[in-house]
Amino acid sequence: MKESPQAQKLEEVLRSSKLVAGGFMGYDPRSVTEIIDADLAALARLGFTIEQVASRMQEITDKAIPRLGNWVRIDQQRQAKVDEAKGWLICPWPHTGRFVKRVTTAKLIKSAKSIQWSDLNIHLIAEHGFFEGKGSAFRIEPKELINSIF
Amino acid sequence: MNIETEMSQAFVVCISAIFTQNILLSYFLGLCPFIGVSREIKTAFGLGLAVIFVMTSTSLLNWLAYHYVLEPLGLHFFRFILFIIIIAAFVQFIEMVIDRYSPTLYQNLGVFLPLITVNCAILGASLFMVIRDYSFIVTIGYGLGSGIGWFLAIIAMAGIRQRLSNERIPQGLQGAGITLIIAGIMALAFIGFTGVLQ
Amino acid sequence: MIITVIIPVVVVSSIGAGLAAILVISEHFIADYGPCQININDQRQLNVQGGKDLLSLLTAEKIFIPSACGGRGTCGLCKLKVLEGAGTLLPTEEPYLDEQEKRSNVRLSCQVKVRNDLKIEIPSELFAIREYICKCTDIIDLTHDIKQFRLELQEPETIDYIPGQYVQLLTPIYEKNSEEVYRAYSISSDPADKSIIELIIRLMPGGICTTYCFEYLSVGDEVKINGPYGDFRLLETEAPIVFIAGGAGMAPIRCMLYHMKNTSNNRKATYYFGANKVQELFLLQRMQAFESELADFSFVPAVAAPEENSNWQGEVGLVTEAVERDLKDVSQCEAYLCGSPGMIDAAIEVLGKLGLSEDRIFFDKFE
Repeated sequence: MKESPQAQKLEEVLRSSKLVAGGFMGYDPRSVTEIIDADLAALARLGFTIEQVASRMQEITDKAIPRLGNWVRIDQQRQAKVDEAKGWLICPWPHTGRFVKRVTTAKLIKSAKSIQWSDLNIHLIAEHGFFEGKGSAFRIEPKELINSIF
Repeated sequence: MNIETEMSQAFVVCISAIFTQNILLSYFLGLCPFIGVSREIKTAFGLGLAVIFVMTSTSLLNWLAYHYVLEPLGLHFFRFILFIIIIAAFVQFIEMVIDRYSPTLYQNLGVFLPLITVNCAILGASLFMVIRDYSFIVTIGYGLGSGIGWFLAIIAMAGIRQRLSNERIPQGLQGAGITLIIAGIMALAFIGFTGVLQ
Repeated sequence: MIITVIIPVVVVSSIGAGLAAILVISEHFIADYGPCQININDQRQLNVQGGKDLLSLLTAEKIFIPSACGGRGTCGLCKLKVLEGAGTLLPTEEPYLDEQEKRSNVRLSCQVKVRNDLKIEIPSELFAIREYICKCTDIIDLTHDIKQFRLELQEPETIDYIPGQYVQLLTPIYEKNSEEVYRAYSISSDPADKSIIELIIRLMPGGICTTYCFEYLSVGDEVKINGPYGDFRLLETEAPIVFIAGGAGMAPIRCMLYHMKNTSNNRKATYYFGANKVQELFLLQRMQAFESELADFSFVPAVAAPEENSNWQGEVGLVTEAVERDLKDVSQCEAYLCGSPGMIDAAIEVLGKLGLSEDRIFFDKFE
C-alpha cells in the first residue's frame, strides 16, 4: 500500500540501526502503522488505554531511580530496578526531545518473570502507541506488560 | 466552436469532474495513495495540491502530444505508453525545478511528486480527455476539475479518519478495510449530486 | 507493412529519447550545483561538490560536527552558524532553533543543502577535532561487565587533550549493525603519554558500540576514534575536590588523578566510588597507589548491598549516603561528578543539602 513520504521516511529510520542496535522493527514485516493499529487494538481488548499504561510504567521507573541500580519493592507482588548508561536516545519520530538511556526492569516476585523497558519505550507508547516490532530487543507485548505492571 | 462556448463547456466539465463524475469516487481511480496517505489532513493536503497541479499540467501536455504528434501520424494506439512517459518525465523535471528554486515548497509539496507518477488517476484523466474528445480549453477545465475532485475526496477522507483514530475498530477492518467502506459510503453520498448539471 | 512497424517504433523511441535528453540537460543545469566553496571561520576554505547537505560534506572533509540522529533532522545537535549562502529556514529546522539562534543565523547543518558558496562559523573546539587511527593493544576485564581498552595511536601518533575530555569511537558495520555509528567514551589514561588512549567501557544490553567492543573487537584490531570533545575538566583553583563517580564513570576521574600526580597538584581530594556489589569494585590498587602518590587524596568506595561472604569493611549504602555521612560543610569545595543521570541528580541534591552551590558542581554531560 502506498504510504506518504513522511511515513516511508519514518519506516526507514525505524528499520535502520542508526539510533539503536538492530533498529526498532526486529524481523516484523508489517508496516509501522499496522503494528501500531494491532497493538492498540490488543490493548483496548485488555481494557487499558496507552495513557494508563504509560503513566504506570513511569510511576514504577520513578520509584526505582533513587535506588541507583538496586532492587526496590514496588508493591506486594513486584520489584523493579533501573540501569542507566550515558548518552541519549533519540526518538525516531520527527520531533524534538531526547531521552536518557535508562532501562527499567520490573519483576514479579512470585513467578520471577521480568519485563524491561527504556525511557524511550515509555515515550513511544505514550505519544505514538508504538510497542516496537516483533523480534526487536525492546519489543513489549501488550499482554505481558499489563500482567507485569497492573 | 467559439471561445465563449468552449469556456462555458470547460466550466461545466470542471464542475462535473469535481462532483458528479469525481474521478475517485465515481470512477475509483487513484485509490492506492488515497488509502495510504489519508491518515492525516496535513499530508493529504500536500498530496492533494500536488495532484491538482500534476493532473492539470499533464492533461494539457498529453493533449498537445496526442493532437500534434500521434493523430497526424495515425498512432493513436500509442497513447498509453506516450502518456505515461510524458507524465514520468514531467514529474521528474518539476521535482528538480522545485527543489532548486524553492526548498520550502519542495518540503511541503515536492516530496509527494514521486508518489504521483504512478497514480492511475493522472493517466486516467488524460485517457478520458482523449475518449471524450475535449478541446484544449475544455481539457484545462477537466484536468483542473478532476484534480480538485480528487483533492476534495482525500481531504474528506483524512478528516473522517482523523476523527476515527480514537475509535475502536474491529481488528479485521483496521486500516484499508474501514477506509474502503468509508470510501464506498462517500461514493454513495456523491451520487446525490447527479442531476445537478443538466 | 514494414514501414507501419518502423514508423511508430521510431516515433515513440525518439519521443522517449527526446524527453530523456531534456531531463539530462535540465539536470545538468538545474540539479547540478557545481563546485561550491565553503569558508570556515575565515580560516579555511573547502572546495566541495554541491548538492549534498552541509553536515555530510563537512564530515567527508574530516570536520566532525556532533550528530546523534544520522542527519535526519531530529536531534538538533548539528547546529552551526551559516552567515552567507544558506537560503531560507526550512520547516524541518524550526522546532530546534530559538529566536536568538534564528537571528544569529544558526542552522541545522544536516538540513542545509549546499547549492552555492557558503560562509560558516564553527566553534573552535569543534574545529580542533581530528580523526585518529589506532590499534587495540590490550583488553582487560575489570568486572563482569566492564572492560578497559588500550588503544595505541597510529596516525596521527599523538593526541592533545585536557583530562576529563572524551573521544568518539567509530563502530564499524558488523553482524548486528548495518551502519557506521559513533559513541562517546571518556579518556581514562595517563595524559603524560600522548600516544595511547585508554577507555573504560561498560556493556549495555542491546548497545551498538558496547556489543561490538565486547564481542567482536580483539587485540590487534584497528579502531578509529575522533576527538577530543567536552568541557568537563578540573578548574585551576585551590579548592578541595569531591569526586563522585560509579562504574565506568571512573574513566575521566582516573585521568584527572593521573594529571594531578603529574603536575604535583596538592589539592585535597576525595573520591567517592559507588557500586552495588563488592564484585563490582575495580582498579582498587590503582586508587590506593594514588593515595600514596598524591599529597592529600583519599579513596572511599561505597557498596550498596555487599554480598554475604564478602567480608566488606568499607562504607555500606548508596554512594550519596556515604557522601552525606562523611562530609559536613562543602561550600568551599568543587565537585566533579561522572555517572548515570540518576546518580548525578541524587549527588547534586545531597551536595546542595551540604551547602554546595550548583555553580561549583561540574559533571560530565555527554551530548
